[in-house]
Amino acid sequence: MKKSWHISRRRMLKGMGACIALPLLEAMNPSILRASSFGEPPKRAAFMFAPNGVCPGKWAPEKLGSDFALSPILSPLKGFEKDILVLQQLMNKHSISTVDGHYTKTANFLTSMEITRTIGANVNSGGVSIDQLIAQKTAKETIFPSLVYGIDRISSGVDANVGFTRLYGSSISWKTPTTPCAKEIEARFAFDRMFRTIVPRRDAKAENPYKQSILDVVSEDAKSLQRNLGIADQNKLAEYLESIRSIEMRLENQDQLEDFKAGISPSIKKELTHLDIRIDEYVDITAGIDITEKVRLMLDIMALAFWSDASRVGTFMFGNSVSGRNFSFLEGVRANFHSLSHHQNDVRRMTQYEKINHWHIEQIAYFLQKLKSIPEANGTLLDNSMVLFGSGLSDGNRHSPFNLPIMLAGGGGGCLKTGQNLLFEENTPLANLYLTMGRTMGVEMESFADSTRELGEILA
Amino acid sequence: MPGLLQSVLLLGALLAFSPSLLAQKEDPRQAHYWQTVRPILRQHCTSCHNGEDKKGGINLERYDFIISIVRDGELFSKVIDVVNEGSMPPEIRPPMSQGEIDTLTHYINNYLETALAEKDPGIISPRRLNNQEYRYTLIDLLGVDVNTDSIFPADPSGGAGFDNQARILYLSPLLLERYFETADLAVEQLYAQDSAWRAMVPVYENSFGQSLKNWWHEFWHEEDISWQAPSKQADKVLEAFATRAYRRFLRAEEKQMLGDFFKKVYLDAKEQEQPYDLAIKETLKLILVSHHFLYRQEADPEIELPYEISGFELASRLSFFLWSSIPDERLLNAAYRENLHDPAVLEREVKRMLKDPKAKRMGAQFAIQWLELRKLTDPAFQLDPEIYPSYSPILRDLMLAEVESYFNYVMLESQNLLELIDSDFSFINEALAEHYGIADIKGSEMQKVSFASGERGGLLGMAGVLTATSLPTRTSPVLRGKWVLEQVLGTPAPPPPPNVPELEASHDTAAGPQTLRVMLEKHRADPACSSCHNAMDPIGLGLENFDGLGRWRESYGELSIDPAGVLKSGESFAGPSELKQILLTKKELFARNFSKKMLSYALGRSLGFKDSPTIKELQQSLIDTDFNTTAFIITLVNSYPFRYKKSDNADIQS
Repeated sequence: MKKSWHISRRRMLKGMGACIALPLLEAMNPSILRASSFGEPPKRAAFMFAPNGVCPGKWAPEKLGSDFALSPILSPLKGFEKDILVLQQLMNKHSISTVDGHYTKTANFLTSMEITRTIGANVNSGGVSIDQLIAQKTAKETIFPSLVYGIDRISSGVDANVGFTRLYGSSISWKTPTTPCAKEIEARFAFDRMFRTIVPRRDAKAENPYKQSILDVVSEDAKSLQRNLGIADQNKLAEYLESIRSIEMRLENQDQLEDFKAGISPSIKKELTHLDIRIDEYVDITAGIDITEKVRLMLDIMALAFWSDASRVGTFMFGNSVSGRNFSFLEGVRANFHSLSHHQNDVRRMTQYEKINHWHIEQIAYFLQKLKSIPEANGTLLDNSMVLFGSGLSDGNRHSPFNLPIMLAGGGGGCLKTGQNLLFEENTPLANLYLTMGRTMGVEMESFADSTRELGEILA
Repeated sequence: MPGLLQSVLLLGALLAFSPSLLAQKEDPRQAHYWQTVRPILRQHCTSCHNGEDKKGGINLERYDFIISIVRDGELFSKVIDVVNEGSMPPEIRPPMSQGEIDTLTHYINNYLETALAEKDPGIISPRRLNNQEYRYTLIDLLGVDVNTDSIFPADPSGGAGFDNQARILYLSPLLLERYFETADLAVEQLYAQDSAWRAMVPVYENSFGQSLKNWWHEFWHEEDISWQAPSKQADKVLEAFATRAYRRFLRAEEKQMLGDFFKKVYLDAKEQEQPYDLAIKETLKLILVSHHFLYRQEADPEIELPYEISGFELASRLSFFLWSSIPDERLLNAAYRENLHDPAVLEREVKRMLKDPKAKRMGAQFAIQWLELRKLTDPAFQLDPEIYPSYSPILRDLMLAEVESYFNYVMLESQNLLELIDSDFSFINEALAEHYGIADIKGSEMQKVSFASGERGGLLGMAGVLTATSLPTRTSPVLRGKWVLEQVLGTPAPPPPPNVPELEASHDTAAGPQTLRVMLEKHRADPACSSCHNAMDPIGLGLENFDGLGRWRESYGELSIDPAGVLKSGESFAGPSELKQILLTKKELFARNFSKKMLSYALGRSLGFKDSPTIKELQQSLIDTDFNTTAFIITLVNSYPFRYKKSDNADIQS
């Protein structure tokens, strides 16, 4: 009896990609089943990372529960109170390392595992990141498995002080524990890669008709090498073959591409054309200096990718860890982010630190507003999305990995009970949230990293 | 029998799983270690470096056996270094007696050296061309320059801080897409330049007789042989190109494969204009996305002992080291016709390569990364425009050009590496001279200019270095001191202890500059900070006459600057000029650091304990030759790890 119950449950979940997070009886409820049945909009997940933590005392709203007033840092989210969840006391326990600093708390932000200390010989983030785990599930449905965005290129060099390659501070998305995903940082490239077939560029030229044949030959050739190779050689060859495979899949899957194109409504097309012009203007006029616009372009591309169903999962890095980006373009800020994050409890420095945090949330508000402005089914795109914002540190001054600033927005397709400010038990694994989000996205997971339970409190 | 088998198995298990037990029995020095050496570690080191506190991430408590010391030889070489330097134990702890220092360093050295008797060149993983190597390779191969920096995702850095480290050079679907687009772009660009294209791909035309023959075959044998004659001509073009692109001769099946592909495209495009050129172009694109082109892959036969790499492999190692690109035809020829492993041949080729203008790529590739100046071109590095209105991308590029030209001059012309620390000249142009406040330099060309006084010469007086080690709003003595310790002397300070705020930030930007020295001094009073900041701060404070853009200043407005100081090692100086003289006396550290940096760069891997004999050899070569760069490079390319490798097939874990 019990056994068949399990099977049917799994089958149901597999078939529906439903809110696994729900207690079983509720999940069996026909009204919920309807909500997740075929033809309903898909769910999307975005993970936004900010470096250097947040100003202490200014992040979490004071009052717990559903009737909270926004904190100073979260104040740009006015009007979104009912769409967000503030989640206090979450942490990655593997961030507590004998080696202090930022790297151990960045590369593992979405893997929740311990990273290997190395200057490059054996890079390992401990696990596949949650976004990539979700992407494995949603990849079949969309033309791009996932979006990996940011604004900074990989920081150059190794940190001789602490013995880490700076790659660790530049990557939160890990396809495998040993392979970080390449990050797109230029709006022009990110846009073209996804939407070039819909908004052709003026100087566009047709796809090389021999691309498929070239791929066939070079992959055959590479495969013939596979025998008798060293271990590292095989890994490198596997990377090459996998990359070929991913291009081939997109070439082969013309039907999917046609479906994608057919799904582009006139309003999406209009938005895309508009965005295309804005990107050109950005490149031509502001010469890439205006960082706010740069962030917004990337976020708009992600929003449009979600809307057009080009992809369902994305990550965005506001900066690499230890980012020394100068924020003096903000009124009253006179230094770089990382320096200010070490505020030493000096009020003048903390005020500036807070302003930088505030700027980050302004951009999140911009993104949420975009998602909310897009109607989808009976609600909005935001209702069908989960947008996580967080940092790997809480107070940057102490590099503290405890009680991380974590905020989740969006309804998750009706799965989330938003509009709450929740205080969890001290040191609750952040992985619990990822487990909950992963399951909500339809990934079958027993557990994730150091997760101990699902966060039932956030589920509808 | 079963009893015997069991004991054999048990013994086997013991051998396999407890090397320490084995070592305990076998190593005659073990008892002495316990009696004499370990007690010194226990008395002076493990009160902080124990299993619980693990200060600096180091636990010295768990080394009960010599064999485990050897396994972590790198760590123990550092232990010896810091004990010898006197930076450990820290000042707040009771010092070691000279006798204790001698005993500890002597015996640990002895353990390590015995272990090193077995030579190990290390494993070389297949290495993807990095973005710059790819760019230079296209220039050398096609004469086409593509700005790969803006198209490709940035390469991560590893090892001694370079972006050419095999293990960490990933290939992502995104990058492979860009390789496709770039191959397309580059080949089409070459094709558009008629004379350049024709120099590589001579025109093909069907003779009348050939056309007749084709028609005849088609008519009577129903066989299309129109591809045969063009194929014959194409084979030569393609083979020559692929040989250079793959940096070796092609195997028969590889030639076949390229030929087949040419034929396929040719037949497919027969009715189009210029099917011959089209088919060649597509085949060239294929070569440019082939694994053989994108990766430097050396053979990994099933051989357990280290072996000499092949001539072609050595040629590639040389050219990517010195030129950041593929070998030229002369080098490939030398690899084929002569023995590149012959020191005389190797020296001749290296000297030739160093005279080639391509060797100047080392300035941009090696020096800029070694000195951590890539930071300047990172878009996230923005100075406060109100404080530094004259800073612009143009000025920044000049700053970088100065460092590159100077490094190349020192490396390739004057050949005296110590000039990196101090000299009385540099390479600047009119705009940079204006920035420095030097009159009468005209023109945009970087030119050799002599300085009247001793403050400016050498890397420490260069605007690029001084700007990269400043904050967006002001100078940072700590960052400058840290930079000298790490990049010049190779003695990085350990990270600040957890939960201690970074000293750097303690200074408020609005406060007056005078408080900077005072603040730093106050912090150095804290024992948790002093052991490292005593090493960093005086150096940085000695450079305070250079502002955040490297311009000379006598004072901070009303407050005067006091550049005098005392180094942690005891020497005192009055200002930057004397500071450099002191650094010049630290030749051994500088030689060692430079050797490590360049060896890691040349091999494309992190260095380990087993590389220490090579590092010593390189260090010695610098000291013996008064820091002659050519002699150094020749020593490096003759070194064991540069010419040998260990197969990954046999064992990766060594």
